[in-house]
Amino acid sequence: MKRIFLVMMSLLMVFSCALAAEKPIKIGAVNPLGDITGDQATKAMKLAVKEINDAGGVLGRPIELIVIDDEMNPAKGAAAIERLATVENVDFFVGGMGSGVHLAQVPILKKYQKITVWIGAASHQAEIAMGPDADWYFHLHPWDYQQGEGYGVGWTEIVHAYPNVKIEKVFLAYEEGAFGTDSYTSYIDLYEAAKRGEGSWKEILKEFKGASFKSASLGGGDYRAMLNQAKAFNPDLFIWAGYDADAIPIVAQAKEVNFQPPLFVGAPPGWPADFGKNPLSENVILYGMWAPTLNEVSPVAKHFYDAYVEMWKEEPATYFAPLGYTNIYFLVEGIKKAGSLDKNAIIEALRTIEYESPLGEVLKIEPSRIIKNQGFKYQKILQWQKGRQEVIWPLELATTQLVYPFKFGK
Amino acid sequence: MLNLEKTNKSLKKTLIAFIIFLIVVGIWKPLALVYGIQRGGLYSLIGLPLALILGIVGILNLAHGDFLTLGLYIGYIFFNSWSIDPLISMAPLFFILFGLGMVIYSILIRRVLKAGHLNQLLLTFGISMIIIELIKIIWTTRPRSVYTSYASSSVTLGNMSIGMYEFIYPAMAIAVLVILQLFLKKTRLGQAASAVGQNPKGAEIVGINTNVVYLVVFSIAFGIIGVAASVMLPRTPVFPLSGNPYTLKSFALVAMAGLGNLNGILIGGITLGVAEAIVQSIPGYEGWSDVVFFGILIAVILLNAYRRPES
Amino acid sequence: MKKTIFPIITILAIVLLIFLPYFIGAYLLHVLMTIFIYMTLALSWDMMLRTGQLSFGVAGFFGVGAYASIITCSRFGFNPLVSILFAGFFVALIALGLGFAVLKLRDIYFSITTLAITMVFSVIIRNIPKLTGGASGKVIPNVIFNGDSAKTYWLILSLALITILISEMFNRTKIHFAINSIRNDEIIARSSGINIFGYLLFVFIISSALQGIAGAIYTQQYGFVSPETTFSLDFLLLPMAMALVGGIYSTWGSVIGALVLGFASEYLKLIMPYGHLIIYGIMIVLIILFLPKGIYGTTKDKIITHKIEKKSLSE
Repeated sequence: MKRIFLVMMSLLMVFSCALAAEKPIKIGAVNPLGDITGDQATKAMKLAVKEINDAGGVLGRPIELIVIDDEMNPAKGAAAIERLATVENVDFFVGGMGSGVHLAQVPILKKYQKITVWIGAASHQAEIAMGPDADWYFHLHPWDYQQGEGYGVGWTEIVHAYPNVKIEKVFLAYEEGAFGTDSYTSYIDLYEAAKRGEGSWKEILKEFKGASFKSASLGGGDYRAMLNQAKAFNPDLFIWAGYDADAIPIVAQAKEVNFQPPLFVGAPPGWPADFGKNPLSENVILYGMWAPTLNEVSPVAKHFYDAYVEMWKEEPATYFAPLGYTNIYFLVEGIKKAGSLDKNAIIEALRTIEYESPLGEVLKIEPSRIIKNQGFKYQKILQWQKGRQEVIWPLELATTQLVYPFKFGK
Repeated sequence: MLNLEKTNKSLKKTLIAFIIFLIVVGIWKPLALVYGIQRGGLYSLIGLPLALILGIVGILNLAHGDFLTLGLYIGYIFFNSWSIDPLISMAPLFFILFGLGMVIYSILIRRVLKAGHLNQLLLTFGISMIIIELIKIIWTTRPRSVYTSYASSSVTLGNMSIGMYEFIYPAMAIAVLVILQLFLKKTRLGQAASAVGQNPKGAEIVGINTNVVYLVVFSIAFGIIGVAASVMLPRTPVFPLSGNPYTLKSFALVAMAGLGNLNGILIGGITLGVAEAIVQSIPGYEGWSDVVFFGILIAVILLNAYRRPES
Repeated sequence: MKKTIFPIITILAIVLLIFLPYFIGAYLLHVLMTIFIYMTLALSWDMMLRTGQLSFGVAGFFGVGAYASIITCSRFGFNPLVSILFAGFFVALIALGLGFAVLKLRDIYFSITTLAITMVFSVIIRNIPKLTGGASGKVIPNVIFNGDSAKTYWLILSLALITILISEMFNRTKIHFAINSIRNDEIIARSSGINIFGYLLFVFIISSALQGIAGAIYTQQYGFVSPETTFSLDFLLLPMAMALVGGIYSTWGSVIGALVLGFASEYLKLIMPYGHLIIYGIMIVLIILFLPKGIYGTTKDKIITHKIEKKSLSE
């Protein structure tokens, strides 16, 4: 036994030495380390890198991940790209979260034209800035306009699957900054299309109204004026686009104002730490790309979840964690398929890969409005039930039934 | 610097104008009046400690809102670990922040008292940064909250549902104001504090120990911040920047009321709150409420400046 | 001997700075560009401070300059450099108008009003989307010089050098005496016949124009504006910290402060990915406690004291 063990150990050592002797493939990531999204995306990326290196690396070489904090500051994010390109000499760019930061990075990414697989920036402004000629640019996060389109598809399917659900009047509460306003513009476009009989909302949406509010994250937190407007409109579906800090106050104040729409939907980029424990969370619907309950329907999701918890001794709390993991694996699959580090070969390979991701769906590349290489298009519709985020749509990934209509928890 | 000589006549005039304003709004937009009084009360409650520190100790504390955030986190810990209701934690929060105020004053603030406004400003800016980053490291940026069933309680009048909880803000603001006025006028320490605020050098000559006065006033102000945190907790998400926006709002209030005018903080706070609420209730114009807030602020400051004789 | 060394050193330094792009890489150049923008803001803030007025309007003029530049570029087809000059001129005009209302205020009232004006600018811009792109902001198709690092660097360097020049002029010519006397005691200044309002307005317009130009250049460098990022209070608080840490009422103070805090904020995070801002905050606190006159101010004092001691010893 001892001898076999020694042989295995020495083989492993020789193997790793051989691996280490090869120059690593360098991947540069720019994430907001001070925010939970960037922090967990980074940890997930490191997990992916470790798994890949333990399995032998790529093309016989290990990969090395270099992460620089963008501090959610555009100038710093841009400087980080410069540093990764010229000082660290990375071969690929990954990561990202904020749209404002990415807008500052776009001119610099265009300068170096390295293969970039980006998981941040939902704002269509970033797509406009990048332009149609950036073949080396792969964008995995759904654009703001794509998300709205996806929900039209989703709700239409839900209305067919659940006969007692009716969605004709929609009210959108949007935070007054760039994030919320982009949501509002997308919904207006979808509403106009539906009126003309086009687009994914055409079967259901008849009336639409929007009102802005100041997010609690930015010094606001009093939604009652907006909620009274919503109450007067009497919508079938109420949705708010803000930040995680708004999640609980908005439901609490809706209760205070006695506004109880049949469908109460929240669309922040992340949720508070203890939302599930709060009785007010019961049956709130949320838009998101991932939830821990996906572990029950997707083995890839479960593997990622367990591996992340084991490595970092904390639970993934935001979809940026599985998205970061996807980021690295997708790029690496592309390199493997290309068989070399030739840029054009990798671009072609990435365009043809179908990667089963821990977000529960398959990632493949299609053009979006302007750029050629867009990844995920739609998000998911989930519902908080008994403190867990259950998947309601896509119906193939559903973990339970929708609870309808919405009633305030005690 | 502290001017307690606003004549009774002028105060009465402002008070009457203020009440007429409230009545008019109440008839025109009753819900806006309710929300405005509630939110405005919160602004006043948080503005009073800043007015104390600025008026008597003379410090521009840029970390004001961040100590409020600290208070919120401490209250959250009390609730989460020992199930202590936020309102009950008002007393411990007062004392904890009082103590924190004493420590911060003794170790840091005392050294820059003679160094001028700018150094004090920069020091408190550095402190603000440290507090925010410490909170981020310990608790991350994810917001947390405290659930109490009474926070969403409401009373129905016709088809309007009026929230009851937030009336605690103006109530506490009035209570704190009354207690502070009593303290400043009726107690020896309070009278010494007013004297120091009006004329620090003169007060020293007369034999008042300015250092002790500063220490006590600073700590009391911090204690009030703790009280504000405890009443805010049931309705406020707790994250590293929860309190930060209130620094600016408090400065705005103090500037609007005029240094030393504590009553003005209450009137000004509620006026601004009501003005904001009116704008927010106009469909399509919600985004302009900040312009109204700062516009009124600028207008009042300019009016006061042009009315006052050139000093 | 001393009088001839100093100008020679200055000229050498400027020549070195001009040829820097040929020696250092794009990353370091980028960091320097950001530092020079903040240095301009710190210096222009300090100029206003020398008159005794604590202005909190830096971010406001920066933002208006940025928007003026982007709007004239994308809507009216201005050449980027022309749009930058226009932005400076436009902001100067606004400062002129505002000055008549605001420069009668003193102390905290002036400060809060300038801060309130910043907020008002930002919110108005957010609410007129047809012109400004609203909350989503605006993107221009091409950044200035098509992203050429060297040319952008030279543009920013010129701005910084001009600002340093103006700051030194304020510190050497007879403006220096007028400004100092206004700061120390307005009553005495007025009785000496100094036109206080005139000087304040002059300095206000110049410093605001510089801030507007800095905003315009920054925005042309990155190619976008948005109310949240362009009016960020970082553009007020960090330059203030730099001027204070370096030493106020002096040109070198802001220069040193910008270099120290600027490099610290970039390189600290490479050493300490998590929590580096705490070190930054602690640095600021320690410098204020132990070097109350700022780095340059305290050093200058020590040199002067040392000289006086030497002189009295040799007598």
